[in-house]
Amino acid sequence: MISEAPQRSTASRGLHFNTGSGSTLQPLDIGHASYLGLVDPDTAFWALVQKDKLGEAISPGPFLDEYRRKAADFAAEMQGFRFGLTPSAVYFNPTERCNLNCSYCYLPEDMRQNGRHMSTEKVLESLEILKHYFQANLPTGFRPQVVFHGAEPTLNFEALVAAFERYGNDYRFGIQTNGTVLADADYDLLMKYGVAVGLSLDSSIDEIVTRTRKTWDGHSVYGKVLAAMDKLRGYPNYSVICTITRENMDQLIPTVDFFHERGVATCMLNPVRCTRQGARDIKPKDEDISRYYLAALERTEELFRQTGRRLVVANFANILIAIQAPQARRLMCDISPCGGGRSFFALSATGDVFPCSEFIGLPNFNGGNLFHDKIDDILATTPFKLVTGRKVEDIDPCARCAVRHFCGSPCPAEAYEMNGGMNKIGAFCELYEDQVRFALRLIADDRQGAYLWENWDNDTKTSFEWNAR
Amino acid sequence: MKTKKNATPRPIIATRKSCNASGTGLSHYVMMDTKK
Repeated sequence: MISEAPQRSTASRGLHFNTGSGSTLQPLDIGHASYLGLVDPDTAFWALVQKDKLGEAISPGPFLDEYRRKAADFAAEMQGFRFGLTPSAVYFNPTERCNLNCSYCYLPEDMRQNGRHMSTEKVLESLEILKHYFQANLPTGFRPQVVFHGAEPTLNFEALVAAFERYGNDYRFGIQTNGTVLADADYDLLMKYGVAVGLSLDSSIDEIVTRTRKTWDGHSVYGKVLAAMDKLRGYPNYSVICTITRENMDQLIPTVDFFHERGVATCMLNPVRCTRQGARDIKPKDEDISRYYLAALERTEELFRQTGRRLVVANFANILIAIQAPQARRLMCDISPCGGGRSFFALSATGDVFPCSEFIGLPNFNGGNLFHDKIDDILATTPFKLVTGRKVEDIDPCARCAVRHFCGSPCPAEAYEMNGGMNKIGAFCELYEDQVRFALRLIADDRQGAYLWENWDNDTKTSFEWNAR
Repeated sequence: MKTKKNATPRPIIATRKSCNASGTGLSHYVMMDTKK
C-alpha cells in the first residue's frame, strides 16, 4: 500500500449522516428539472433524488439504512482502488524523435528533433526485464499491456515488429501514432499482430488540424492521417484521439460527425494537457470548452439514435463508468491518486523510468533506469512518491468537492508545472464539474447507454440497487 | 435531443456496480482491446 486516505473517525456509531462518524451526504444541483444528486464524496456513492423527496430521502428510513449497511464496503473498495493497485501496463517510448512539431506536445522540442532511438536489442531487453517483473507481481495468466508511445514510435518500427514477434504471447500491445509514417503493409502487420492502434487527429478540416499538428517546416499531414483512418476502418482495436484547444473547440460537432462517418467506434476528445507552455498558449477557457464539449457529446447520442451505431467518447464514458462502477474505469487520469506510477509507468528511449509519459520531459521525475535499477526500487523513489502521494484530500478545493472521486483532479504534471505544486489543481476544474453533472442528468433520464460501450459492465456485479417507488 | 419521460419516475435512483480494477489508460491512449 503506497499511501492512505484519511480514515473515518469511529467516535460515534455513525447512525446519522452528516454528524458524528456517520456518512457525509452532500446535495448536488445537477441542472435537472426533477432530480438533484446526493453524493458521499469519500465512498463515491451517489443517489438521484426527486427534488420534492429530498426530506424523505435524508430522514431515518430504509434508504439510509441500506446505504449505511454498504458504506464500509464501498469505502474499502475505494481504498483498494486508490492505494492498493500494482502496475500492469507500461507506456514505452522506443524513440525520442518525432517527424511532427505539434504545438501542445509534452516532450521538449530538442528531444523530439535531435533525440535517439532505442536499439532493437535494447527494446527486446526491456521487454524481457518487464516480463520478469510482471510475472512476479501479477496473477498467473494475466497479460500486461505495453503501449508504444511517443514522440512518434513508428519511426522505430523495425524494433516494434521484433517486439510483437517475440513477445506477442506475453503482452497485449498497443501503439499511439500520428498516422503519418507507416505504409499500408505496416498497418497490415499491426492488425496481424492484433496491436491496438490509436491515431491522432484534431479536426475534420485540414486547415484547423494544421494549426497545431504539422511537420517541422509547417506542412499539413492531414491527408496521410485520413489514409491511415481508411486503412484501419473496421479494425476493432482502433481509436482516434482529438486534442481540444482554442484552435479547434468550436469545430467539435463536425469532428464527431466526421469520425462517425468514417466508422470510428471509439474516440477521445481530450482537453489539452497544459504541462508545457506551448499547450498553455492554446488552452481554452473552462466555460468555453465545456459548452462545445457537452454539445459534441450530445451529438454522439443523436448519431446513435439516427444510425444505431455508437461513437463512444472514451474520456466521457470513463466518467459515466466511474459514477456507476468506480473500479471499472479504463482511464486512470480521473482518479486520485492518478494511475501514474501505480497502475502504469513510462519508459523512455534511454531506459529511464517516469511515473507517466507526461513527465518524460521533466528530469526531476526520473525515478531510475530500467537497465540499472530494480523496478520496485524505482517505484519507491521520491519522484514516484510525489505523484502517487498526490491525493484530492490535500488539494483545495478538491478536499471539499462532492465529485472528487469522479474527477480525480488531473493532472499532477499540469498541477506541478502550470500551477506550482502537487497540491494544486490541474487545468480544467469546471469542465469536470460540468461533465459529472451532465452524466448524472443522463442517468436520471436513462440515456447513459448511448454514451457507453456495449457490455461495458460484463465483468461487474451489482452491489447496490434501490428499487423502491 | 429530447429527454425520455419515465411513466412513473422513481423518487430515488441509486445503483452501484463493483468489480476488480484493471484500468491502465491515460489521456494519451485508451486500449481498445477487451482480451485479458
